Amino acid sequence: MNKISSAKEEQLLRYLDGELDAAEKIILEAEIQSSAVLKTRLEELQTVRLFLIRKATLETPSRNFTQKIMEGLDNQPVRYLFSPRKGLLLLIGVIIASGIALMLLTNGVFDETNTSLIVDATPFKNKWIQNPSISIPFNGKILVNGIIFLNLGLAFILLDRTILRPLFQRRTSAGF
Amino acid sequence: MRQRAVITSEEEYLLIDRILAGERNLYATLVDKYKSYAYTIAMKILENRPEAEEAAQDGFIKAFHYLKNFNRQAKFSTWLYRIVFNTAISYKRKTKPAFQSIENSIIEYSVRADHKIEQDDKQIFLSQAMNKLNEADRLAIQLFYIKEFSMEEVAEMMGQNMNTIKVRIHRARIRLADELKGILKQEAATL
Repeated sequence: MNKISSAKEEQLLRYLDGELDAAEKIILEAEIQSSAVLKTRLEELQTVRLFLIRKATLETPSRNFTQKIMEGLDNQPVRYLFSPRKGLLLLIGVIIASGIALMLLTNGVFDETNTSLIVDATPFKNKWIQNPSISIPFNGKILVNGIIFLNLGLAFILLDRTILRPLFQRRTSAGF
Repeated sequence: MRQRAVITSEEEYLLIDRILAGERNLYATLVDKYKSYAYTIAMKILENRPEAEEAAQDGFIKAFHYLKNFNRQAKFSTWLYRIVFNTAISYKRKTKPAFQSIENSIIEYSVRADHKIEQDDKQIFLSQAMNKLNEADRLAIQLFYIKEFSMEEVAEMMGQNMNTIKVRIHRARIRLADELKGILKQEAATL
């Protein structure tokens, strides 16, 4: 038997962690005695375990660690809505959307000044509402202009919150 | 050595009440109690002392500001470690990985190989093998072996369920043992 099953490996790990009950332990120990492969694997797992235990020491922070925290309690934690990468992607998306809208606008797609938005309100037809079609006049150009304006505002906020502010804050903190 | 046994959970809750009532200087008691653990978590993630210290301090400051949101059904330590863990992870995302010179590592190895005993070799190979593990598996196994952290706590800290953490720890141990086996085989072949 050269290959150890994963169930047996799991059992060896539980043995090393002291999680086996007395009966299981006796059986496994007998198996280990009679199998060089199991014995070698147990030794390997034990070496790994000892290595991990040795590495798991607590680190000691600097002496003024607590003092620095107490002095910094007035600093409000910085909250970023998006990571710089996500912010940049969103910013690019907003700029592309605004660009497309602007291009359509300059090509005269929204030049029809008084478009009627017809809402079919058939389900509400009754004795009081005779004509269920409701016509709402709106200016397409003004609407798209408004959307572009909002997008540019959003792009500015994104640029500030996700790219410029974190960048300058990092530069300031790096200067200490 | 262990500072954690100094105050009980009930005393800790009372302390939190007093901090929330305005006695902010008492927060230093909580910081002193948990600073080593918080710093160790940050160190395991960032592997850089100044950065780990900054991240751990940042985590404590965040915890102070969010203290009123702390749900007392959970342990304060677990809640705090989660904040420190997430802070250190975001620090790690912000910083670029340090450039490692291949040339230097070869020189370091050849010098060291001439002088160290076999046991040290295994430790060094295992340290290298640790770096080959995926980050989540490596963190799970490192945190689990810090005796103060139970598997539940590691799971809570990393924001994953217990079974996932169990699988990660198991997989990491097997992988390390496999790496060790490979190294020992290579050594035997060169003799």
